Amino acid sequence: MTTVTLPQGEVALARSIRGDAAAFADIVQEHQSMVFSLAYHFLHDRGRAEEVAQDVFLRLYRHLASIKSEDHLVFWLRKVTCRRSIDEVRKLPKAPTASLEDIAEPAAESPNLDPLLSRGLRRMVASLSEDARAVIILRYQEELELADIAEILDIPVNTVKSRLQRSLEILREKFHRWAGDVQR
Amino acid sequence: MNPFEEKLRNALRRESAPEGFAEKVLTRVRGLPQPGAKPWQQFGAFFARPVLRWALAAAAVCLVIAAGVVHHERQERLRQEGEMARVQVRQALRIASVKLNVARKKVQEINRETPPSRL
Repeated sequence: MTTVTLPQGEVALARSIRGDAAAFADIVQEHQSMVFSLAYHFLHDRGRAEEVAQDVFLRLYRHLASIKSEDHLVFWLRKVTCRRSIDEVRKLPKAPTASLEDIAEPAAESPNLDPLLSRGLRRMVASLSEDARAVIILRYQEELELADIAEILDIPVNTVKSRLQRSLEILREKFHRWAGDVQR
Repeated sequence: MNPFEEKLRNALRRESAPEGFAEKVLTRVRGLPQPGAKPWQQFGAFFARPVLRWALAAAAVCLVIAAGVVHHERQERLRQEGEMARVQVRQALRIASVKLNVARKKVQEINRETPPSRL
């Protein structure tokens, strides 16, 4: 007789659905970084990102019974976090978009310095429209395929493709201008 | 992935959640009904929340006070109506008594004026 052992995540999910708080804590620990980072890269504000991420896990708790597998759980978390983050962005008055002047900080620093470069790029991403931002974050934070992004955002693959290309063009242009400013 | 995309990937790498994030989520989850619970269990759990329990207790106290006030007002109205009826009955009896006296006097006068032979 062969015994089938379920992966750790599936076990935690099954136990959570039965009301095991410790198992739900394991799920939160496992996915908190993904959910928080999605919200953070969207909102560019740690406080608001934490609020959104907490809200996503509360929703997950309420919907646990409808989660079918570990893969479905990750899909669900990504989808709800993106939707919730888009809502959060739209709810608030238009945040000041990152202009190139804002991004160019100490001129003495080289653009090759990683923290400065990363900060600059994150602010450029935050200046994109919500829909474009979602595609870029899912593509480069979560490293998802276009079809997966399309499924999460509920849009055709071709739309994802065109949004990605357009966003990359904008980002590349901004980046080169910014890099030039910093080097000067 | 070209060098620019690589830079983007590095910039958007996952960040750690803030300190105590999971604990905060679990604290908020404690007040919620169990995930797989049946609708009636969720209904019960909804009312089992401490804030809601206090609100329900306060509402019950308000209801009892309101019922007491309504009952008292009703009793008072009945008492006033009874008092008014008593006054009216007394007045009616007094009027009837006066009328009876008048009638009795009339009868007595008629009796005095009429000779016994005519009877």
